[in-house]
Amino acid sequence: MERELVVTGVGGQGIQLLAKTLALAATREGRHAMLSADYGGEMRGGPSKASVVIGDRPLRALPVLASAWSAIVAHHRFSEPALARLRPGGPAILNLPLVDPASLPAMTVYGVDAAAVAKSVEAPQAIGFVLLGAYNAVTRLVDPASLVAAMQELLPPYRRQHAAANARALAAGAAALDVPGADLTEVSR
Amino acid sequence: MTVIDTSQPPSEPARRVADFRPSLLLGEHSLCPGCGEPVALRVLLEVLQELDIVQRTIGVVGHGCYGSFVRIMDVDVLQCLHGRAPACATGIKRVRPDCAVFTMQGDGDMANEGLQEVLHAAARGEKITCVLLNNGVFGDTGGQLTAATVLGQRTKTSLEGRDAETHGYPIPVADLVAGLRGAAYVARGAVSTAGGVAQTKRMLRRAFETQLAGAGFSLVEILTMCPTGWFVPAPEGPGYLGDSMEQAYPLGELTTWRH
Amino acid sequence: MTLELLEGSEAIAASAIAAGCRFFAGYPMSPFTGLLENMSRQLPLAGGVCLNAESEIEGVNMTLGAAAAGARAATGSCGQGIALMQEAIAEAALNETPFVVFNMARNQQDYFQATRGGGWGDYRTITLAPKDVPEAVEHVQLAFHLADKHRAPVIFYGDPLLAQTRIGVSVRPLDFGPLPPKDWALDGTGGGTGGSRQVWTWAMGKATDPGPGPDRHWRAIAEKFAAIDAIESRSEQAHVEDAETLVVAFGSAAKFVEYVVEELRADGHRIGWFRPVTLWPFPGEALAAATADVRRVLVFELNAGQMLDDVRIHAADRSAVRFIGGVSIAESGLAYGELMDAPVIRDRIRTALSEGGRS
Repeated sequence: MERELVVTGVGGQGIQLLAKTLALAATREGRHAMLSADYGGEMRGGPSKASVVIGDRPLRALPVLASAWSAIVAHHRFSEPALARLRPGGPAILNLPLVDPASLPAMTVYGVDAAAVAKSVEAPQAIGFVLLGAYNAVTRLVDPASLVAAMQELLPPYRRQHAAANARALAAGAAALDVPGADLTEVSR
Repeated sequence: MTVIDTSQPPSEPARRVADFRPSLLLGEHSLCPGCGEPVALRVLLEVLQELDIVQRTIGVVGHGCYGSFVRIMDVDVLQCLHGRAPACATGIKRVRPDCAVFTMQGDGDMANEGLQEVLHAAARGEKITCVLLNNGVFGDTGGQLTAATVLGQRTKTSLEGRDAETHGYPIPVADLVAGLRGAAYVARGAVSTAGGVAQTKRMLRRAFETQLAGAGFSLVEILTMCPTGWFVPAPEGPGYLGDSMEQAYPLGELTTWRH
Repeated sequence: MTLELLEGSEAIAASAIAAGCRFFAGYPMSPFTGLLENMSRQLPLAGGVCLNAESEIEGVNMTLGAAAAGARAATGSCGQGIALMQEAIAEAALNETPFVVFNMARNQQDYFQATRGGGWGDYRTITLAPKDVPEAVEHVQLAFHLADKHRAPVIFYGDPLLAQTRIGVSVRPLDFGPLPPKDWALDGTGGGTGGSRQVWTWAMGKATDPGPGPDRHWRAIAEKFAAIDAIESRSEQAHVEDAETLVVAFGSAAKFVEYVVEELRADGHRIGWFRPVTLWPFPGEALAAATADVRRVLVFELNAGQMLDDVRIHAADRSAVRFIGGVSIAESGLAYGELMDAPVIRDRIRTALSEGGRS
């Protein structure tokens, strides 16, 4: 089984890092992973998009995904092309209130106010990890411990001081899902 | 003091200088009478032998009359593209740092086609020795203007003599290279006189010593006669060189490195 | 087998080093830059040298020098920079210096450049066009092997997807069999022995030991490339047995075509695909056989129709050949445009299927 994730948002939200963290976590678990990044020259504010594919056998998926099972939508801006590729019924994690759940009518949508959750665990810079924690709580694609280990492995030496806060953000994102009604809103249709 | 016995004829017949050719020279050159390039080749090969580096030397030869030397020098040689010898020599030296690596290029090769190669190699402090045989004309193609042709020089593409208004000014390669930090030894000699040949040989020796000591880039510009390209009789070549090229390109060491 | 999550450029660099590459020189140009950066990081750790050359021309000539001295060496750029290297690539083909040229191309518009070359003389360049990163890892090492086997420069034709996709891969040294000794390489020891070596396009030899000279040497080179043509072409194909339609594509585009063809077969279409793995030698005989019984031969490539020429030359019936590719470049000019996409390719194939073919 291959599972595809598209992540879309704007530069500065941690899109690339969260996608890389998931792909590395799967790789470290001995599985096949592919990560395609697509971002403009600007570090912040421009479109930022990534896709991750995880499977137990050599992957068949293309580096430009023909379609995707799931999504993390961190910002509504620039999200349209990615959302058009989603297969109906799959899970989508939305960053509330920046993303309107009505923009994904056919998906099983989970909303999380990532900024608020991140702030609540004193990790305001780790919005991306909150979204990733929530996503993994829904999909169970990898062991949560693998995400923490991959996050730590990817941090450059000059960012090591963020490791603890990032780990809290991952856990808080997952917890936001486990405790319905706290910071996570399941939007049904 | 040895006193030569003149009471009897010499026991051995007189020999020409050419008979004392270095063993690295495999045969006669095929260049014009009066050409300075074979003289430069000869002192270069003598230096390799005297430094005892013959069996760890790799030469890179560019395109010009001297290209035919590949056939008569008993040295491992890459015959490379026009102007690119310093780049090729860089690749060789970087993978064989224990070898002595030199280039042999004319002014058309180095000052025209490959000026950036030599400048970049010098700036990089590449531990190679570049030898510029500068006769101020394209000899191999029959005597046309190069970037190093001196003002006033008649060539087949500057029939009335090089004038700055039309053709600009000659490029003094050694002076350009001497301005770069990576160059550890830069000198300009000439093979137009016996003294000049001896001086040039000393320069080549110092250039290779600089390379072997790992001190940096070295370049010897050698002014050579091209009576054919200059349209002068062969015996007048050395004198003509002194009156023309040597006036524009002063001889001597421009950058020296000492142990 | 442990997989490492590597960016294509990183995996290609690691594979080159695993193949024994110890000299690399290049000039930054997207999307080749990543490979240059990775080589500059990784090669010194393996005891090699990576130079950020001052120009493409110097980069390729440095590489030629290192290779002439016997090292496994490589250079690279994208098509624009490879254009500057053509003279040296031709020279290396004629003076028989083996090295690898990585064309981390921006698109598929360098097919003619790779297979026809832009240098002078009767020469060819073996060109490998991997479809994805795992195959690229293998092709890198195959490229060095083929270069040494035939004493000729080999082109690795990559693209932005190969350069920038991160995927779990395993990079280990691969064994492609024994190679002849590099007894021709310049190491300096020939000096003064009367048997000094030379690497020379004109192959004139020494006064004491004349070489073949340009006439005989260049005829021998031409014969060598004819021999390579006969034995080194590689291709892949699927569903040729029952296919009415065969889609031909190379590189990343072939991976997309394979994906779409499998979908169309699931929908009941009798369709197959054919992929030249080597662009030169072009697998002409294999293509002729694969197209013997099909009604349509569709050529998909992201250019104005370059491989199309080779398909027309070799297809069993050239009147069956249709071009369904085209020029497609991203806004940035640095990557593929919208055509490198499965839904778009599916539409183009379906349109072609609805049109007639030869009966």
